[in-house]
Amino acid sequence: MSVLSKLEENIPSLRRYAWTLLRNSSDADDLVQDCLLKALDRIDTLRTASDLRSWLFTIMHNLYVNRWRRMKLRARVTADEGELAVGPSQQASVEIQDVLRGLGSLSEEQRQIVLLVAVEGFQYGEVAAMLGIPVGTVMSRLSRARDRLREFVEGQERPLLRRVK
Amino acid sequence: MTAVERPIGEDELHAYVDGFLGPARRQTVERYLDDHPEAAARIAGWQVVGERLREAAAWKFQEPVPAALNITRLAEARIANRWGPWRMAAGIVIALAVGAGSGWLARGSGEIGGAASGGKQVAAVNGVSGAHPVQLAAGQPAQLEGRLTQGGGGAVTPPDLSKSGYRLAGGQVVATAQGPACMLLYDDPQGTRLTLLMRPAQKHDTSATQFAETGDGNGGRAPQLAEAGADSGGRTPQLAEAGSANGRRVPQLAEGGGGSGGSAPQLAEAGNGGGATGQAAAGPCP
Repeated sequence: MSVLSKLEENIPSLRRYAWTLLRNSSDADDLVQDCLLKALDRIDTLRTASDLRSWLFTIMHNLYVNRWRRMKLRARVTADEGELAVGPSQQASVEIQDVLRGLGSLSEEQRQIVLLVAVEGFQYGEVAAMLGIPVGTVMSRLSRARDRLREFVEGQERPLLRRVK
Repeated sequence: MTAVERPIGEDELHAYVDGFLGPARRQTVERYLDDHPEAAARIAGWQVVGERLREAAAWKFQEPVPAALNITRLAEARIANRWGPWRMAAGIVIALAVGAGSGWLARGSGEIGGAASGGKQVAAVNGVSGAHPVQLAAGQPAQLEGRLTQGGGGAVTPPDLSKSGYRLAGGQVVATAQGPACMLLYDDPQGTRLTLLMRPAQKHDTSATQFAETGDGNGGRAPQLAEAGADSGGRTPQLAEAGSANGRRVPQLAEGGGGSGGSAPQLAEAGNGGGATGQAAAGPCP
């Protein structure tokens, strides 16, 4: 299998991660495109294909952190306004709206970690390497993120309560 | 079975939720959760969180990948981007033609004219480079050769610069004021790029070879470029090099002997600051 098709295989999950980070389809795809171009530029530095997925996510993480801060802020504003983008054909269930709102309430670091673990299925050590932080930090942020999101999915954090704040 | 099992840590609760535990430890955690309802409720909540997150994101994973993210297209676009240095070379060659750097003045008026026409030609190429030129990567040199020959209006054999450490990286047929030409891109392992333009010789073209190099003017070493004579196919090689930004070294090229008598190679080197600071050096005249 060629390198290009191996890259191609990972595009759906890159798009998913970018969208869950930004919750804006066009910003997310811009991020994925930047990531793929950078990956193509650096493909010579990739030694083993088994690394490919976490290598791509690392590239995307760095792009996100270094160059997309403004976009990140925009996404957060969008989330706070309650304009949660969902699938075009999907009338988002209350449950999904709750968890997305919870996601928007997390710190950037917590959000990245819980998404990389719970949605993308990376091991804790992989996430630590990707983000350049110790595994212990990954675990403590994961705990905080999961506990916080639990409040949202269990209905302890309803929109009315948030507006009162 | 009397051994005391190590206590369950929070990390293991995550690993349990994420399916990273081996079967034995998994059972231990399950027994622990049976005895600790509060922890069990927390873990159940985490599991629901994971399901909801995956559910919320699933549509994006399943959505068809838009054309803008087509990997083949992006790879092609990246090859096109590698022509970037050519634009820089063009700018500097034009600057040379206009400003006639000190080195050029020493070469005599006839050669200034040669440089000027080279500059015009480069400008013409630069102007049309957005117009969907035939563009190829050099995966199969033979195929590249064939396509360039087809598009360029005559036999094209990309020069072998491997002795100088350059590998053919790609090529495209471009339009110039004098008709179709072949633009070839070479690079070396350090990333230094060399762009070469080949076009059929013109009847009024008295200078057989023109070189323009844009390298690092601070290197202190003048480049040595020497190529004499058009080849038997009547092609006039023209070299323009866009040096790497850091200009670690100046490539040394030497090709061919004096083919057609009286054709003097012309060289122009432009420093980083532009054409005005360039030094001129000439290869040996036949």
